[in-house]
Amino acid sequence: MNAEMLLVLTLALPLVTLAGCLSRQFRRHVAVLLVVAPLPALATACLLADGSTVVLPPALLGLTLVLDRPGAMLLGAAALLWITAGAYAGRRFRGNPDGARFAVWWLMTLTGNLGAFLAADMVGFYLFFTLASLAAYGLVVFDGSPEAKRAAAIYVGLAVFGEALLLMAFVLMATATPDSSLLIGDAVASFATSPWRDYAMAFLILAFGLKIGLFPFHVWMPLTYSAAPIPAAAVLSGSAVKVGVIGLIRFLPFEIPMHNWGEVLVIAGLFSTFYGVAIGITQANPKTVLAYSSVSQMGLLAAVLGMGLSAGEKSAALVAAFSATFHVLVKGGLFLAIGVATPTKRGVWLVFVPAVVLALGLGGLPLTGGALAKLASKPLMGQGIVGVLATLSAIGSTLLMLHFLRRMWSSTTQSEARASLLPWLATALVAIVLPWILYSVVTDEPLRDAMLPKEIWEALWPVLLGSLASLALWRWGRLLPRLPAGDVIAADKGLVRLADASGAAMEKIDRYLREWPVATALLVGLATLLSVSASLGR
Amino acid sequence: MAPDAIVLSDATTADGYLLVLAIIFPVIGILLTLAFGGRYVERIALVLLLAGLVVAIAIFAAVLRDDQSLVYIVGNWKPPLGIALRADGVSAAMMLTIAVIICAIGLYARGEFGQSQATVPTRASYAFWVLLLAIWSGLNAMAVGADLFNLYVALELLTFAAVPLVCLKGYEETIKAALRYMLFALLGSVLYLLGIALIYGAYGTLDIALLSDRVRPEPIAWIAAALMTAGLLAKTALFPLHLWLPPAHAGAPPPGSAVLSALVVKGSFILIVRLWFDAMPGLLSFAAAQLLAALGAGAILFGSVLALRQARLKLLIAYSTIAQIGYLFFIFPLASGDSASTPWSSIAWTGGWLQLFSHAFAKAAMFMAAGLIAEAVGHDQIADLRGIGRALPVTIFAFGLAGLSLMGVPPSGGFVAKWMLLSATVMEGQWWWAVVMLVGGLLAGGYVFMVLGKALSSTTPPVLRVSIPRHSEVLVLAVALCAVLLGLVPLQPSEFLTIGRPDIHTTALQ
Repeated sequence: MNAEMLLVLTLALPLVTLAGCLSRQFRRHVAVLLVVAPLPALATACLLADGSTVVLPPALLGLTLVLDRPGAMLLGAAALLWITAGAYAGRRFRGNPDGARFAVWWLMTLTGNLGAFLAADMVGFYLFFTLASLAAYGLVVFDGSPEAKRAAAIYVGLAVFGEALLLMAFVLMATATPDSSLLIGDAVASFATSPWRDYAMAFLILAFGLKIGLFPFHVWMPLTYSAAPIPAAAVLSGSAVKVGVIGLIRFLPFEIPMHNWGEVLVIAGLFSTFYGVAIGITQANPKTVLAYSSVSQMGLLAAVLGMGLSAGEKSAALVAAFSATFHVLVKGGLFLAIGVATPTKRGVWLVFVPAVVLALGLGGLPLTGGALAKLASKPLMGQGIVGVLATLSAIGSTLLMLHFLRRMWSSTTQSEARASLLPWLATALVAIVLPWILYSVVTDEPLRDAMLPKEIWEALWPVLLGSLASLALWRWGRLLPRLPAGDVIAADKGLVRLADASGAAMEKIDRYLREWPVATALLVGLATLLSVSASLGR
Repeated sequence: MAPDAIVLSDATTADGYLLVLAIIFPVIGILLTLAFGGRYVERIALVLLLAGLVVAIAIFAAVLRDDQSLVYIVGNWKPPLGIALRADGVSAAMMLTIAVIICAIGLYARGEFGQSQATVPTRASYAFWVLLLAIWSGLNAMAVGADLFNLYVALELLTFAAVPLVCLKGYEETIKAALRYMLFALLGSVLYLLGIALIYGAYGTLDIALLSDRVRPEPIAWIAAALMTAGLLAKTALFPLHLWLPPAHAGAPPPGSAVLSALVVKGSFILIVRLWFDAMPGLLSFAAAQLLAALGAGAILFGSVLALRQARLKLLIAYSTIAQIGYLFFIFPLASGDSASTPWSSIAWTGGWLQLFSHAFAKAAMFMAAGLIAEAVGHDQIADLRGIGRALPVTIFAFGLAGLSLMGVPPSGGFVAKWMLLSATVMEGQWWWAVVMLVGGLLAGGYVFMVLGKALSSTTPPVLRVSIPRHSEVLVLAVALCAVLLGLVPLQPSEFLTIGRPDIHTTALQ
């Protein structure tokens, strides 16, 4: 099979499966196929060479698909997670009449998600970005509970807002690109000469910052991940959010240093990193805790990318993709773990032991992917204040993840029935092994360096400090205030009231304008205004 | 007066007769139903719909092939004495859109106004078919008219065919709504007529090509243009002159609403564009263009917010029409700027027309979908549509696709149009219109998801009064897919929409 076919198949198989859902007979069994749909994506990520390209015919919008290195890493990890979570979902929804409905949203989100890692032109990227964002609405709202509805409404509102920002960014970039090229590479290169450079950067950072949950746009994350069914939360937190990461990787002009914008990203990112920890430790629901951990981890990624941008360091893209790849599997895996956690003996060995390794990996536990990711990003973060803060964030992450493990342990009764251990174990295994394979590819450093005692100690002490802090949290944690999930969005009642009042006011104005005397007067007034304005000349 | 000033409509082109056919085919249909009585009205109408579609395709193909306008000089009397019909690229694309939508509406309406056997039809169904044909004839005449008086006649035909469509059901409130529409539209007509009287008095012609050479920036021209535009805005229902539109839609039958929202209001819009860009290009000052776009911006904001606050699905869609019409008016400031050598080679020109076409398809699909929903459950209260997605999956899917086009989500004509208009705001440096467009998209997302969220909720679906035939659902989906297919248009100024436009934008003003 040649490269082009495989690239096309990556997106075609989920789409064909989706189209199959038109048939009632097919729909009944589609839940089983959720495992199969992402398989070509996995093959693409593993088999295809760096730079494989396919240009689709004009009838398919003339989209260009390219597999580059950051894309391949994220695509592979995402495909794996979609497969394991698909297995989990398939088991849960087998024979369930709602299964088909779930599968339709699932497959749409999957297509958008995978497509975003491959899209090399702006229209394609926007298409897949939007598809992934909007289709996730169906996954979030799936349970139909009032919380799910509220979460989905807030989510979709912010998602559409993010898309508006992104559209503006793309239009600004496309307008500045010569030869009306829509390729992302050309558009990024045109940053050097673009008169709208700063506007485009502002819109890009806002749009992708919203997608990856940078403060204060993080509010949708705790709400959605808590409300969505377990497998959906796994793919949304693990995989779908990386659409924002790949966006930053693709669209930030690392070859044209932009000190100010880099700093903006670093500050916003680091703030989110600590903010996520601070709010996360007040949460009781393990899903919510994981969501705040995502806020924190994505903040750190943004900081890495920001450092790369301000230094004009191209390697930041690959390093960030490496960290993100690890995060795909860990975060997705831990959500699956919530679903299978039982306080029995088997549960301890098969759920909690791997979960501890994965969770502490986010804090940088030596010899885990997290430690490798921190090692890889060290040259970028430097020795200065940013480097120190990044190290300190490892303490926070450890603290937060230990809090998560404890919450998972004590809320195991909520676990969903009939869930299977296999998807979780497979995800955990890959999350532990894959970083070791990718490390030398990403950094060109030998793996041996990662095992030097000095490096091990440097990774270990924040974890130890974090564990100590965790003991303190255990002892005095009840003194912390209980914050609602989504923290600042809890103020949405006031906003709703404000929106309602202004809507009512506009309704009143509309009714007034539609009265005969008013409308007639407006007609005459407009005619006058128009003739005056025509007389003003060019 | 010099004949060499006539640069455009000099002689009938090879396929020019097609333009006549496009206008008279529907008229023939009306005459035939009069001759044969109402017994065969539906069949006659459907045959002529098909014939009209073929003609529209032929016109489109001819313009595409010859890369120039089709012209027909009626009776070989050259303007200003005679009447010229002209179809440039915009007209051809417009007529094709009209034909496809009218045919779809015709097929759709067979459910509501169809005759099972050759029986004598009810008053309403007889009227519906005749009015549909009359509207089509009027719209085609609007698209190919080359002189302001012909266009006036076409406009009146359109209005007088559209008004009764509003009150086909014959309830008191629908008749009130129709009267409201008619009175306001007549006010508009009076202003328009006043305008052309002034023009004729001052310049001695109403032929658009001749006028473009003769009109000078002087008070009489300003006043005439303003009067005509204000009159046409009333018919287009541009905010704040939209008083007739919501009540008209409240009681109109769904196919009537579809044709009204998708096509009829666009008829007068074409005329406004012809007026400012073709007949009096020198008069489109910066201030006038900004004023028109400002009204459009008001329409987007008010229409969208009010759509969000409607309890009835049909009224939500009606207010969404008010909002979507607003985008069309961005063509005035954005296409008349300095970023392109002529307005038609600007990206806003293509974007504006694409907005018109894709909105026409999307809105027709939405009203048709709403009609099926109302037929199935007996009401269109949004709050009580929970779970309807399970009962009518294809209809809701079509509604969703149309909604995505309104939001500007790819792939859809709405996305391409929005992208182009946004690009134009960047090139022209008029960022304030970009803000309005983005906010409009956000609000559109709000009302589309408000409906979809209810429709797709997991509760048990409402009991259906009648089952909806699958082919009706598929028809609605096909119309929505047309809006999606427009998303394949490349993101560049379209060559086709420049066909037949003058090369140099004649600016009389310095």
